[in-house]
Amino acid sequence: MIENIKNAIIRFKRSPAFTGFALFGFALILNIIIRGPAVFFSAQSMGTLFSKNAPIILVTMAQAVLLITGTLDISIGIQLALVNVVVIMLPQELGVSIPVAWLIGILVSLAISAVGGFLVAVLRIPSLLATFALTFVVMGINVLIMNVPQGSVPKAYYSTYDSLLFGFLPVAALMILGVALIWAVVKRTKFGKHIYAVGADPKKAFAAGINPTGTIMKAFLFKGFITGIAGIALTLMIASGNPLQVESYGLKSLAACIIGGLGFGGWGSMASGVYGVGFLVLIQNAVYYFFNFLQGTIVGFQITSYWQNFISDLIIMLGLLMTTVTARGQREALKQGISRQIKRGDKHAKES
Amino acid sequence: MISIKGVNKSFGTVVALKDARLEVKEGEIMALLGSNGSGKSTMIKILSGLYNPNSGSVEIDGKKVKIKSCVDAHNEGIATAFQDLSLVPTMTVIDNLVLGIEPLGKFGLLNRVKAVRMAKDILDRLGVVCDMDAYVQTLPMSTQSMIEVAKAILLKPKVLLLDEVTASLHHDEIQLLFNLVRELKAQGIAILFVTHRMGEVFELSDRVTIMRSGITVIDEDTSKLSMDDIVYYMTGKRPDAGKAEINLEMKEERELILDVKNLKQSKVRDISLQAYKGEIIGIAGLQGQGQPTFIRTVLGLMKPEDGSIIYKGKQTHYKSPENGIKNGMGFISGDRNKESIFQHRSIEENIYAGKAATQNIFKYVTVKEMKQFSLDAINAYKIVAGNVKDPATSLSGGNQQKLVVSRWIALAPDLLLLDDPTKGVDVHSRREIQQILRASALKGMTVIISSSENEELIEISDRIYVFYEGEISGVLKKEDMSMEKLVAAQMGMTSEGNGV
Repeated sequence: MIENIKNAIIRFKRSPAFTGFALFGFALILNIIIRGPAVFFSAQSMGTLFSKNAPIILVTMAQAVLLITGTLDISIGIQLALVNVVVIMLPQELGVSIPVAWLIGILVSLAISAVGGFLVAVLRIPSLLATFALTFVVMGINVLIMNVPQGSVPKAYYSTYDSLLFGFLPVAALMILGVALIWAVVKRTKFGKHIYAVGADPKKAFAAGINPTGTIMKAFLFKGFITGIAGIALTLMIASGNPLQVESYGLKSLAACIIGGLGFGGWGSMASGVYGVGFLVLIQNAVYYFFNFLQGTIVGFQITSYWQNFISDLIIMLGLLMTTVTARGQREALKQGISRQIKRGDKHAKES
Repeated sequence: MISIKGVNKSFGTVVALKDARLEVKEGEIMALLGSNGSGKSTMIKILSGLYNPNSGSVEIDGKKVKIKSCVDAHNEGIATAFQDLSLVPTMTVIDNLVLGIEPLGKFGLLNRVKAVRMAKDILDRLGVVCDMDAYVQTLPMSTQSMIEVAKAILLKPKVLLLDEVTASLHHDEIQLLFNLVRELKAQGIAILFVTHRMGEVFELSDRVTIMRSGITVIDEDTSKLSMDDIVYYMTGKRPDAGKAEINLEMKEERELILDVKNLKQSKVRDISLQAYKGEIIGIAGLQGQGQPTFIRTVLGLMKPEDGSIIYKGKQTHYKSPENGIKNGMGFISGDRNKESIFQHRSIEENIYAGKAATQNIFKYVTVKEMKQFSLDAINAYKIVAGNVKDPATSLSGGNQQKLVVSRWIALAPDLLLLDDPTKGVDVHSRREIQQILRASALKGMTVIISSSENEELIEISDRIYVFYEGEISGVLKKEDMSMEKLVAAQMGMTSEGNGV
């Protein structure tokens, strides 16, 4: 029994999600120290944390799927804004009921992801370039649909989003849980295995009888689905529409994935991405409350929010450095495997 | 069972297969042999769906089939264990084994229990002991090869292709593999296997197909062929009675430039080599016998694991190629795009690059100096170029390679290392490169040239070291060089035995 647990721990230590988990744990402890466990874990604090960060967490989960498949999408941030303007403008201008508008919002997200997937998988344009260009296309579409920030969401909807189910479970957290569950199922299908193979080496995947183009395309569509949900979460969070917002989520989600230990293709899991984004979010949270605390205790302590960003970004950069350290650990394991083989080769050479 | 007729395949102007044919019957083990560039790899790749042939037909059970991709090949019952492995290194053993043929359970989810049962059975038969959840990249090479074979067999093929799978296996593993192959044969599976170990051919195969320069030369029962016959069909000449001898001790009065003793570095297992001033040393061998590793280790790109490299009388401890080049080494790679040409920079910059590397980094380079330097090189080495300001890619492949050669010759290095420099270079340019090398050697430069072209090596080298599985299987002197001896040594046929 103890042996089993030991093995499980060793396996987890070697798994790609470990760095992300360690960093996430660090940020969590930092938060608990700064705010005190009782305050930090209070239902209200948790509710705010989830409702303010659900979009970026969902987007990172979507990005993680793409990174596993060996591609990425930096237009993912502006795609959220696209879903946002669609679900705001449809009820406002055409009188579509809100649930239908949400459905159409997800379909629009799928469509734009299909375009991205087509550029990357079929036309084989490097994903960074293709999706960077797509950013501006989507921006243009957004402004065509909604020229200035406007609109509103009925109070019943956004107050549900901000509320706590049974008094402790944030609804925003449920959305994340839902997507995580879908992934848990998808991961165990053929598609779930194929994206790892294609991400690691498309040629080898092809040799194993997998269609890389189709797999990348499907990964983009799956990402589109999650992005659609994230877009709805964003709409509920801000309760209005803005055509040019959260563009930075594209790069932020990428950084979160890398911090979480995802490699560029075939290495890591969605959990890595979640830990990475958790670290990002919690560090920003901790730094914010830390400066609040300083301002409260030291009389006359006044500082701009730029300093807060500077400090939290510095910590994030250190987090990125951490990932290279563990990557080295994984390289060590590889090296050991090779040297073992060479030693074994010597043994057999003597025998024959 | 499977028959291929009239297959043609060319890459640009290089013809890889010319009206090639191959036939494997049910329950037959066919060995496919040929030296470098004979087209056997191309043949395997066409059968497994990696390449599409320009023309020709593939028939299975007398029915014409089209193989356009690996999926088609699987559907037609052809499975391949690739030499360079189709395993995904960052996936686990079990995931790799069932990749593409995942057993599905309820709701389209993978049935892990079933997958493990499938995998366990085949791995046991092959005697592979490993953790099913280990990442493939952490396993030893030999285990990876076995898993590659297991993966191919799991596809339950009608035709099984084994492409040099024994290269990294140990003796006992090979026996287990052969036993399984014989079992499969008894089940009526057609097996095609490629190897460079002659012992295995005689031990395992029923029939042999030999290819030379893209043409199928012969298709014969193994029992009717002798080792000499095989060399004859591979080269077109009868080997002499005497086989290549290992003669590492060379007494020379000339100055010893490079003395490598018992070098070890991954694929290089035990290489000793001496090069004297003004000598052209050829390095021969089939692909993947450690030649590139050897050259790069001498240059300082890789660190030796064991053994010593003594260059100009001093033991070297190079950290990077920079050290080697500063000490008068030059390196020309056959992989132009990756290791030698700066594609989008101008011709003159490309020629000047080598000189620049030996100078102070802040040295001011005048336009005139660079132009003069490159024009001299262009004239001296007959590079056919338009304007020296044009990008290097404006040149033909042969001229690009001449450009790289001239870059280094102009620096007059003491030791020039060439790794397959004439790969994809036309005959005329090749001849000119050879002339340049010969002329430089007469001036006292030492040249070590590795090549997959045996004719070229025989023409140019003073001595040829033949690499076989990371060791030297023979040293040929100018006087006793012949194609037959060279090929025999490449097959590991030394006086020691047949190389198993």
